[in-house]
Amino acid sequence: MTSTRPGAPSRNSPDMASAPTGRSLTPVEMAQAAVMAALAAALAIVSVVVPFAGGLSLLVTVPMGLLGYRYRLRVLLAAAFAAATVSFLIAGISGFMVVLNCAYVGGLTGIIKRRGRGTPTVLAVSVLAGVLNGLMVIGALMVLVRLRTLTFEAMTANFDGVVTAMSKFEPFRQGAQDARAVFGLALQYWPVLLMTYSIFTIMLVSLVGWWALSRVLDRLRGIPDVHKLTTLTESAPVAPVPVRLTDARFRYPGADHDALRPLTLTVEAGEHIAVTGANGSGKTTLMLLLAGRQPTSGSIERPGAVGLGRLGGTAVVMQHPETQVLGSRVADDVVWGMPPGTHPDIDRLLDEVGLSGMAERDTGGLSGGELQRLAVAAALARRPALLIADEITSMVDQRGRESLLAVLSGLTERHRMALVQITHYDNEARIADRTLALSASSDNMVMVAQAAPPAPSVEPAAVGRTPVLELRGVGHEYAHDTPWANTALTDVSFTVNSGDGVLIHGGNGSGKSTLAWIMAGLTTPTTGSCLVGGRPSHECVGEVAVAFQAARLQLLRARVDLEIASAAGFPPSDIRRVVAALAAVGLDGSLARRRVDQLSGGQMRRVVIAGLLARRPKALILDEPLAGLDADSQRGLLRLLTDLRRNTGLTIVVISHDFVGLEELCPRTLHLNRGVLS
Amino acid sequence: MTSLLGRRRPSRQRRPVVLLRPVPGTSVIHRLWAGTKLIVVFVFSVLLAFYPGWIPIALTAGAVLIAARLAHIPRGALPTIPRWLWLLLLLGMVTATLGGGDPVLQVWSAEVQIGGLLKFLRFTALSIVLLGMGAMVSWTTNVADVAPAVATLGRPFKAFRVPVDDWAVALALALRSFPMMLDEFRLLYAARRLRPRPVLPDARARRRRWLIEMVDLLAAGITVALRRADEMGDAITARGGTGQIAAAPARPVARDWVVLGICAAVCVVSVFVEIRYF
Repeated sequence: MTSTRPGAPSRNSPDMASAPTGRSLTPVEMAQAAVMAALAAALAIVSVVVPFAGGLSLLVTVPMGLLGYRYRLRVLLAAAFAAATVSFLIAGISGFMVVLNCAYVGGLTGIIKRRGRGTPTVLAVSVLAGVLNGLMVIGALMVLVRLRTLTFEAMTANFDGVVTAMSKFEPFRQGAQDARAVFGLALQYWPVLLMTYSIFTIMLVSLVGWWALSRVLDRLRGIPDVHKLTTLTESAPVAPVPVRLTDARFRYPGADHDALRPLTLTVEAGEHIAVTGANGSGKTTLMLLLAGRQPTSGSIERPGAVGLGRLGGTAVVMQHPETQVLGSRVADDVVWGMPPGTHPDIDRLLDEVGLSGMAERDTGGLSGGELQRLAVAAALARRPALLIADEITSMVDQRGRESLLAVLSGLTERHRMALVQITHYDNEARIADRTLALSASSDNMVMVAQAAPPAPSVEPAAVGRTPVLELRGVGHEYAHDTPWANTALTDVSFTVNSGDGVLIHGGNGSGKSTLAWIMAGLTTPTTGSCLVGGRPSHECVGEVAVAFQAARLQLLRARVDLEIASAAGFPPSDIRRVVAALAAVGLDGSLARRRVDQLSGGQMRRVVIAGLLARRPKALILDEPLAGLDADSQRGLLRLLTDLRRNTGLTIVVISHDFVGLEELCPRTLHLNRGVLS
Repeated sequence: MTSLLGRRRPSRQRRPVVLLRPVPGTSVIHRLWAGTKLIVVFVFSVLLAFYPGWIPIALTAGAVLIAARLAHIPRGALPTIPRWLWLLLLLGMVTATLGGGDPVLQVWSAEVQIGGLLKFLRFTALSIVLLGMGAMVSWTTNVADVAPAVATLGRPFKAFRVPVDDWAVALALALRSFPMMLDEFRLLYAARRLRPRPVLPDARARRRRWLIEMVDLLAAGITVALRRADEMGDAITARGGTGQIAAAPARPVARDWVVLGICAAVCVVSVFVEIRYF
């Protein structure tokens, strides 16, 4: 259901094609500029604050280079401004200058890359850029006479001091005197010195950035493009319903099968339709057609324009809560993107979705369910004639899901609009007036064979159980001793024995992730102790494995075999062990040479687990292992984990806000509420 | 927003750097229009760049301290200054004193030339004031207010065909994404710590390995960032493109004009004193 992201813009990238020069940024360009700006700023800040990452500052050029490579100059400029301002807010004027410089160099390398030139061009351009930069710095210092004098005098004072001290010792006297002479000379010819320095650093940063950008671009080839919606140019008056699909069929360009098989459907005004079906049945594709894409064959008729996001038009709410919400403050998000001068009744909208009185809250602290309800409020602010809710509950916990469904269930009665609710949970469809069940197209299902579950290789775990993890009075406070201090955990004590399956259940902000980090030794608790086999966990990082929710971030290497070898600590040439590790998580050895970005979500989780298990950890912690997986993958992964625990005696701790289906894997459940075990 | 390092040494608790999150509570400084604070920081920076004398430094430092007092900034807001920085500062002071220069200070019978030391101290004070001004902005400003203020301040630049509105929206979205990016790096860093260290024969191999690892980290980070950007692009499209970014954008009111007036007075006095007496 995804097309492939073009590695180079020349391969008919939609972003380049739909972006005529001289116009303001398209939504895609805007999002790319903002996210890359945030990434560049984060890199710059991290490189200052985190000890191991000093060299990362050399790589701040890469996100900017990527923008220069893929988009118009206008996008690069917007991103440079945003990144520089963000770092100004954190690190002041120096942060601003660093990021601006990196944007300058990075943008140049990106543009050179796009033009298809090589290293010699980079060298030549970087010398030129260095000269320009040097001229600017020299010019600035020419004007800022007093600042220059002060800086030079302070430097001279320090230098003279060192020379004076050295001169006290006979053997160094001559050298020190010479050094003073050289230093004096250098200050006298400061413009020359600055120019040389400027050219040298810009060349160095350009070359490192060029090398890194080339490597990163190589790695990005073949990443699936998840961008779906497109802005339409419509002139007709907005009137999206009633919409009638007649034998509408859709096939992505270049795909060899239909994403949506011929479908006939009418959505009337005021109707609430649920669309159900497994992954690959074309639910999302149907959403795209309703939101304005033309079917490959068949017809789609509506009285007027689709009016995506316009007043009285079509509104879409999608799956991922974090990226749905665009404002930093709740009230801002409701109006985000509305034409200037429109003022919806924000309080009433927030009331309707159950977020009363939260208008001034920061969106950063909202739970997934709250974020999605906010996205619904923003959709309702546009008084849509058609609202499409595309799997909006799938990344949300049980409580959030129920509140979202409560919001959806009465919408068509309170408003004059049609609601199309797409879901892969059949039980969620019951609130609709009618249900449309899409059947999976036959050749669209699981694309990679999954090997049979592993045979029991080890005897069932010994009954004489030994404690693996012991937590005694663990408490943790973030930002301790600052005005932002925030207690995440208070006096948590429990023991996990070998072979146990424990579920740590808690809602948003219950401190369960902090607990996982402490057990893995990644965070040292402020009070109490967490022992792994008798030693404090932070002294034996790596002995307890963690599979994070964001599996992709844990896959650091480009290919499955490299990844597993790196995670497990054996040479990647040892293909036998790679295959064995894959087999242990029910994956076929043929996946070994595959690039990690071509794996499905479920496969990514499994590859992470394979790498972790190959190190024989004392325990495996899984943070929300089922989030974002479709029902089939969820079942498969649960089966695998249950078998692993039963057959190999693996100790498993699951951190989750859900407990559906976890009973067999985790017979023992601990409830965590606001940092306290209950 | 998140503190950057979840890890802390158990022996000595260090205060972490907390980014882009205002100090809880409210005050007259918190309530100032974000644009006013940005203007003041900009104007003071320019003033100090042109006239980095003791008088301007003292006046701006005084303004920062008074503002910090008004905003009830506790000492705990400052991150712990690492010991090596103190040592470096001390070393600088010692060498600068040895450097000598006028004026001469009489300490009992000894004569100490403190010219060098004064220059060094002035330079250090200048850097601290510049950092302090930036810190005051982030300690008292909600990030949601920054982009609308920038949009308002940038309006005159539209005459020069600068796409101010686009830039403001990009800034707003970048500020919204920034915490997610930081979390991403926190996670990448953790994932890397969980792995066994490869045993490498020599320094060259280690350097190479390090570079490759950095690119790996970056590639993983960018991959996730791209996915986020795709989804965010869809979300923007679903809202019909860009438009408003704030429900009730703040405007300068009386207190803002007072602050700007004080700022102007500081500048006039500083420039006058600097030109007249130095």
